[in-house]
Amino acid sequence: MLTTASKTQILEDAGYAYSIDRLSYVNREARKVFSVEFVQDNPEAVIKAAISERTPRGEWKFYFNSAPSEAVKRELSAIFSR
Amino acid sequence: MSERTVDDRLREEYFALLPDARRVREELEAEVRHCLLPLSSALDRYEKIEITSRIKDCESALGALRRRQEGATFDPDQAESYSLKSLNDLAGVRVLAFPRSRWYEANDALRRHETFASWASDPVRSDDRSTELAFKYHGVCSRNVKPRAELQIVPMLIGLFWEVEHSAIYKPSPHLKGALATQEMRQRTNDVLQAIESFEAEFERLVRRDPRTS
Repeated sequence: MLTTASKTQILEDAGYAYSIDRLSYVNREARKVFSVEFVQDNPEAVIKAAISERTPRGEWKFYFNSAPSEAVKRELSAIFSR
Repeated sequence: MSERTVDDRLREEYFALLPDARRVREELEAEVRHCLLPLSSALDRYEKIEITSRIKDCESALGALRRRQEGATFDPDQAESYSLKSLNDLAGVRVLAFPRSRWYEANDALRRHETFASWASDPVRSDDRSTELAFKYHGVCSRNVKPRAELQIVPMLIGLFWEVEHSAIYKPSPHLKGALATQEMRQRTNDVLQAIESFEAEFERLVRRDPRTS
């Protein structure tokens, strides 16, 4: 299994940047957010599959270990859309 | 009028806890100083024991609690479930010791003290987890159980690195603490601590062998 460092590289190569304030990897164009916990706890294949996953246009998709509530999704979507 | 946010509620809790946190800090520092007095008064000229204490400031406390949530975001629908009382280090005392033999002695003395004997141990370990780089304990004081407190017993140079890091980076910009959550930053931090540990160990070895200090 690859280390978290190489998983980070996979995310960065796919256009994700780390949000220091929200402890998450974010791609505004793809509208996807990966928490550091999710990245640490899941293998490379899961990260790659999530990066490639098709999501409804215009909606943010959150890859968290525990699904965030609607209120948290709204807040993070607003922050990352600015 | 706009609704109170989770942050507003926690700020209110912070200032309600502050008098207790101050008392805990004072009690803790007094107990640590008293416990280490025999050791501090027997130090050689080149040896040092320094004791400092602090209370986490309001925004740092909120930030620490927020970073515990996945996505570092409070859920406004769960506002009542967040409390600063769950932080282990609202009040804290740090003991810096040099050389390492004094660090171990300080740790042994404090661990035997009745207040700290039952505190939970949460040491900072090397990357391979084989070595303790700093001792950390948390628990409650005898006279005041509301805010939990942390006791750190740290090799001098590692403690000074933490102080420089804090005052240069995190004190002016507390949100930058989030950088430390990445595996890469944890690895780099561990590299620094292990380099300092190695420096200190070699320095101590030479000092011990020097005919003027041995």
